[in-house]
Amino acid sequence: MRPHKGEPDVSRGEDRRQARETESEMKKFYYLFGAVAVIGIGAVAYNVGNGMFGSAVSAPIELDLGDDEALVELAQGVEKGDVDAPVTIVEFGDFQCPGCGSFALSVKPQLDGTLVASGQAKFVFYDFPIVSIHPNAFLAARAARCADDQDKYWEYHETLFRNQSRWATASMPSSAFEGYASEVGLDDGDFSACLSSDKYADVVTANMELGTRMGVSGTPSIFINANGKTRRLSRFDFESIQQEIANMTATEGTN
Amino acid sequence: MTDFASETPPTDPVGGVAAPPTNRMVIAILALIGLCVALYLWAHNAGLTGPIVCGVGDCATVQSSEYATIGPIPVSSIGVFGYIVVLALSFVGLQPAHRESPLIGGLLLTGSGGGVVFSGWLTYLEAFVINAWCQYCVISAILITLIFLASLPEIPRLRGGTS
Repeated sequence: MRPHKGEPDVSRGEDRRQARETESEMKKFYYLFGAVAVIGIGAVAYNVGNGMFGSAVSAPIELDLGDDEALVELAQGVEKGDVDAPVTIVEFGDFQCPGCGSFALSVKPQLDGTLVASGQAKFVFYDFPIVSIHPNAFLAARAARCADDQDKYWEYHETLFRNQSRWATASMPSSAFEGYASEVGLDDGDFSACLSSDKYADVVTANMELGTRMGVSGTPSIFINANGKTRRLSRFDFESIQQEIANMTATEGTN
Repeated sequence: MTDFASETPPTDPVGGVAAPPTNRMVIAILALIGLCVALYLWAHNAGLTGPIVCGVGDCATVQSSEYATIGPIPVSSIGVFGYIVVLALSFVGLQPAHRESPLIGGLLLTGSGGGVVFSGWLTYLEAFVINAWCQYCVISAILITLIFLASLPEIPRLRGGTS
């Protein structure tokens, strides 16, 4: 503002001084605002960049599994028990499937405590995420494999099933999976690095393909391998499994 | 924030250019931080960030809950919109022609007040309904509360404008 006619010159000087101060204050503000903008927008861009260029693989990938040999080489179940046990109990499971959860939390502990503990049978879990209805199942399968890197597969396997209802409907379940990793005592950094990569996407995909070729169409699918034969179970409560194993091993005895 | 503006009165007694209101500078900075937080959550909802960076709490549970959207609109995008409005208002309110604007003051007060009520409701849902905390939502609730507090000095400006 200009001084009115007749006002002393000191007023104009005061105006200039104040204008300079105002300008200086605004300059300080713009510097601070710019610094916050650079840091804040940079942080968001960094996370988006990481997500777009190093995102966690959460769906099956393209693999050349034309012949059975290539498939068998890549497909890997996770074993529990004596590797030389005469009986193998195989499950094709989906971490997001409630039926698999029930099996993992009620039947499997009984198998572990009896047949597996005694060395009579070993238990092998193959991933079979039904991704069409369970969008988080593939990532869960990979998460469990990442836990296996630190020899905590079965603890993590059980934790995933125990908390199934919490992460099953999550739009982005990774943070839940990372939380469970801490819960079972995994190294957070290694686990997160594994989860946010494409590690084991090939193995899980191969396991799915193996299941498909074996006729698996739903989960859990339980197979018993004993005496050179493989049978698929239509019932998989503890007693039925025990009975089936008894029948198959008894056949061996009578042969 | 520095206290550099508080040493000078908001208006020059001899009728010079009004000093930039410190509270609006504070609001602009807070709104910018809030915008970054809301943008991050929005990008996360859109699947652009990959695994969410959550040290504590359970953002996935909160963000996958039925309360993460209002109808088809994600809550995070409401946050983005709200912070952009507050940021724009505070910026306009820092320009020489609008430094004493009661309209800007009123909009800042009502906008941030509404934000506090909305954030309070979301925080209540996190605490008592969803039973999970997303720290980004908590940070946003704190920021909008601070913005509201920083808007309180607008009240005298509001009175000045209406008198």
